[in-house]
Amino acid sequence: MESRFTETHQKLSEDGHESECDKIAHLLDLMIDGEASTEEQAYFNTHIEECVPCFESHQKQKLLKGLVSGHLKRVIVPESLALSIKARIQETV
Amino acid sequence: MSEQTGKQLSKEEKDARFEAELLPVLDPLYNFAYRLTLDEDDANDLVQETYLKAYRFFDYFEQGTNAKAWLFRILKNSFINEFRKKSKQPAKVDYSEVEGYYNSDDVEGEGGVASTTDMRTESVQDLIGDEVASALNALPVDFRTVIILCDLEGFTYEEMAKILDIPIGTVRSRLHRARNSLKEKLEKYAKSMGYNS
Repeated sequence: MESRFTETHQKLSEDGHESECDKIAHLLDLMIDGEASTEEQAYFNTHIEECVPCFESHQKQKLLKGLVSGHLKRVIVPESLALSIKARIQETV
Repeated sequence: MSEQTGKQLSKEEKDARFEAELLPVLDPLYNFAYRLTLDEDDANDLVQETYLKAYRFFDYFEQGTNAKAWLFRILKNSFINEFRKKSKQPAKVDYSEVEGYYNSDDVEGEGGVASTTDMRTESVQDLIGDEVASALNALPVDFRTVIILCDLEGFTYEEMAKILDIPIGTVRSRLHRARNSLKEKLEKYAKSMGYNS
């Protein structure tokens, strides 16, 4: 199944559809960041249904974003910080 | 609120409003400062400086507008204008943070046979977090910044453009290059975790 998709994709590439994959690559960030317009989303989703490499790029980009948003530890704010900010503000006229 | 124009708030009113609207941003702001400076004391100073500036300009802050983006912008500017000049040392890679957590392997060992699947999963999560942190910290500060603003704090491109004072197109291209760079650094690790390219 997969190889058939790839074959189709390669044939399309030779026919000049390469630029379509380039367009998809430009939309990757917009898609994972929720910044793509409705038209862009539709275009993107239709394409990745048929194109395995672009589908995989999308998965990888989502994974990368998820690594930062889901795994990067937040540092704990020192308790004294809020207090010293308040104190310094009260001193300010 | 409509009568606020022309009417001077008392010091108490101003302080109360300031605390109610801007202090809730303390946590993300401190995290941002820490990711920029990679040092807790520096982050502390930078955040205090940011709040003092915000207080001075609080009259220009429109109630109900994006307080978080406003504070992030002030902090980013303080970092560029004053902070970077002060600390002339080259960008540090944050090993100390990693050191603190890398012992999680030992913890599992010490737990002996009783160590549960949950614990193991947790230490794997820690390791991934450490790996992401050191890869991120090794990026140039401009790249680090866009990734933090976008992926950690969830700002929109438009908000990021305002915070960083750059056009949206530049936000997009910088984010793209930053992610490629981060991807490169994480690729080896990802492969070892079974995400083959």
